[in-house]
Amino acid sequence: MKHPPYHLRPNKAVDRLFLVEAIRRLDRLASLAEYTYYGLGGPYLEEFRLLYELCPEIKMVSIEEDEDTYRRQEFHLPCGTLRLEKSQFKSFLVRYESNDEQSIFWLDYTGLNYGNFEDFMALLGKVSENSMIKITLRAEPNDFLDKQNEKLGSGAERFRGQFGAVMPDSAADPPRSFFDFACLLQNMVQIAAQKVLPSTAPLVFQPISSFYYADGVGMFTLTGVVCRRDAAAATRKAFQDMDFSNLTWAKPKRIDLPILSTKERLHLQKLLPCRSGAGGILYAALGYLVDDDKPRTKAKLKQYADFHRYYPYFMKAVP
Amino acid sequence: MGKDKPIQYEPVDASPVKSFFVTMLTRDIKLEEAILDLLDNCVDGILRSKRRSSANKPYKGYRAEIEFKKGLFTISDNCGGIPWSLHDYAFRMGRASGRPADKPGTVGVYGIGMKRAIFKMGKDCLISTQNGEHRYDVEIKPEWIDDEKTWEIPVKGAKKSTEEDGTTIVIGDLYPGIEARFSEDAKDFESELRRMVATHYAFIIDKGFEVIINKKAVTPRPVRLVFATGDGKSKRIRPFIFKTRTDDGVDVFLAVGFTRPIPTEEEIATEQEETRYSSVDAGWTVLCNDRAVLYCDRSELTGWGEAGVPRYHTQFIAISGIVEFKCNDASKLPTTTTKRGIDAASPLYLQIKNKMREGMRIFVDYTNQWKGRVEEAKKHIEGEEAIPFDEVKTEAARLPFHSTTKTVPKGDQYKPELPLPKKLEARKRRISFVKDVEEVESVAVHLFDDKDADPSSVGERCFDLILRESRR
Repeated sequence: MKHPPYHLRPNKAVDRLFLVEAIRRLDRLASLAEYTYYGLGGPYLEEFRLLYELCPEIKMVSIEEDEDTYRRQEFHLPCGTLRLEKSQFKSFLVRYESNDEQSIFWLDYTGLNYGNFEDFMALLGKVSENSMIKITLRAEPNDFLDKQNEKLGSGAERFRGQFGAVMPDSAADPPRSFFDFACLLQNMVQIAAQKVLPSTAPLVFQPISSFYYADGVGMFTLTGVVCRRDAAAATRKAFQDMDFSNLTWAKPKRIDLPILSTKERLHLQKLLPCRSGAGGILYAALGYLVDDDKPRTKAKLKQYADFHRYYPYFMKAVP
Repeated sequence: MGKDKPIQYEPVDASPVKSFFVTMLTRDIKLEEAILDLLDNCVDGILRSKRRSSANKPYKGYRAEIEFKKGLFTISDNCGGIPWSLHDYAFRMGRASGRPADKPGTVGVYGIGMKRAIFKMGKDCLISTQNGEHRYDVEIKPEWIDDEKTWEIPVKGAKKSTEEDGTTIVIGDLYPGIEARFSEDAKDFESELRRMVATHYAFIIDKGFEVIINKKAVTPRPVRLVFATGDGKSKRIRPFIFKTRTDDGVDVFLAVGFTRPIPTEEEIATEQEETRYSSVDAGWTVLCNDRAVLYCDRSELTGWGEAGVPRYHTQFIAISGIVEFKCNDASKLPTTTTKRGIDAASPLYLQIKNKMREGMRIFVDYTNQWKGRVEEAKKHIEGEEAIPFDEVKTEAARLPFHSTTKTVPKGDQYKPELPLPKKLEARKRRISFVKDVEEVESVAVHLFDDKDADPSSVGERCFDLILRESRR
């Protein structure tokens, strides 16, 4: 099975670090040793490696259905505390029992289909309080643009047919811009959460952060905590000091980092953090464009200023 | 012991208890349905008012605006208001005898919709209405609801007049569960309400009525049926149509057909593994005086899984039907008190259901006949247009109907002749098998340079290649 170079995708790498940041703050709600992290780690088990480095007390389980990927995972096993499980995720969800213990799930999908929302809803109804769920979905509006000869069952019709049950307006066409599409997906996640945990339920899904980014393909991701409704304020407080937290279902934040060399990054490092006008300051420091034009360069460098602490260094290493 | 004195029995009190109306009746209905009841009242108001627009857009210029937020629900319309002559009836719990006959086409029968909707939501309500020279406010306070003895509600003349006749209902002091739906669950609630209005009111909105929820107009979602052009005699995809007028004046128009091409085996198989469609147009929609009382139903209630019609399954995802009942006297319509369901025991509905099943069987048979030849079948639909119900009714005029007088129900029907495959030759065999997705993708790339190639095409191509090799 071929895999894209997950570990070299800078925007996703930043998102992954934000997840770790969020997980670290869970210890304000319960001891991290009481948590188990469940993920679809892919062949390199990247987030498990990171998690083991930064939160070694968390138990970890990777779920993988593909035989060869599973064997690659065995090869890349970053630590002895990670349990690899060979199973279809849906089947795993059926068997999963929280046993009143806290879980962290990353539903890291590469596509977008209604089954993803079903998994999310099934999980919301099963995890115990103070558990964290992160869902990542493909956010490509072009997937639903009309194809030629598609007089019946147009792209918009296909979208409505698939997702009507969780759309804010089941008669509307899906939007065409990346940002609007990401906003729609966030609304759909919120509606799915409210369906399973309505106001009459003692638990609520409290959002923590939401981002959209594209390392080639557009993605949307949202992280939240299932907490007691009467403890929602305390949960929000636990994540208040996290960079770019989204505690109110506000619009998702874009991650769109420039590709910079290590030398460039070290050059800019001394100017960071910038209080205001970061794009202009960093552009002046470089003195040349790193994107198509000046506004885009400034926008990208502003992104770099925002996220630089989470931007990993990809270095050539001698094995 | 002497002879016992006969016990004197006093008459028992059988008067209604207010809390029955306030807390019990409201349990029979979902919040969204209660709001649809309020919309029904708006439309009934239009039908009562003198001003009507064109024949095909009779509701044009009329609108209802719904707003909800924490602590407050408001619905306001320009649909003519509540005539003072109806005050004795509009605010009574239930419909008293002696009420003047209502205007044709209204759906109010039981006299509980508005009150039930109000009591469902909160304890404090102000109804302001203007109908011609009459302008008045009716206020229901929590004390009135709690007082079992008082049944009269004070009415005040309103000082200010509005530009157009209409009614505004403001409900406050919301019950906690309702308040939470309007605030914490607002996203899901608005989505659900919008979906219900878009489907149940699709036909009325298509005819010009405007429903605005939290400042945004609702886009209707009418069901569309594939309707080939021509005189109706050629073998092309058109709906089965039946129409009749019953002896007691109910007009019925029924159409069932295809909304899209029949699904591929791949599509059916995928759907079995996980939900691919969360919202489909398959099934029956039943209209009573323009309001959908059932939307895309796929149960026995509409004939699926009984009397020779198979149970609904994804393979029938393309089949959809609409049946419309129209009558000036709403009590003759086969609907329940909530007006969002069918009275399944209604003799009229049971008769019409025969025709619904008859029509469905034609399209079930087509689906079965073309199973495994979906690509060929697709050609029957490509280039044809799917049209909404109103257009189906108009286009039906050019079709050759024939009358059935000796069957139940009597009426006129058009039975389409759908294209059918030439009989399968006896020596043909179907081959179907299951393989790993990755293996199929790998062969698809090898054969077609496209990993997403249709798996049945991949299998067929493999067979053809080996066949050619075996004959060398």
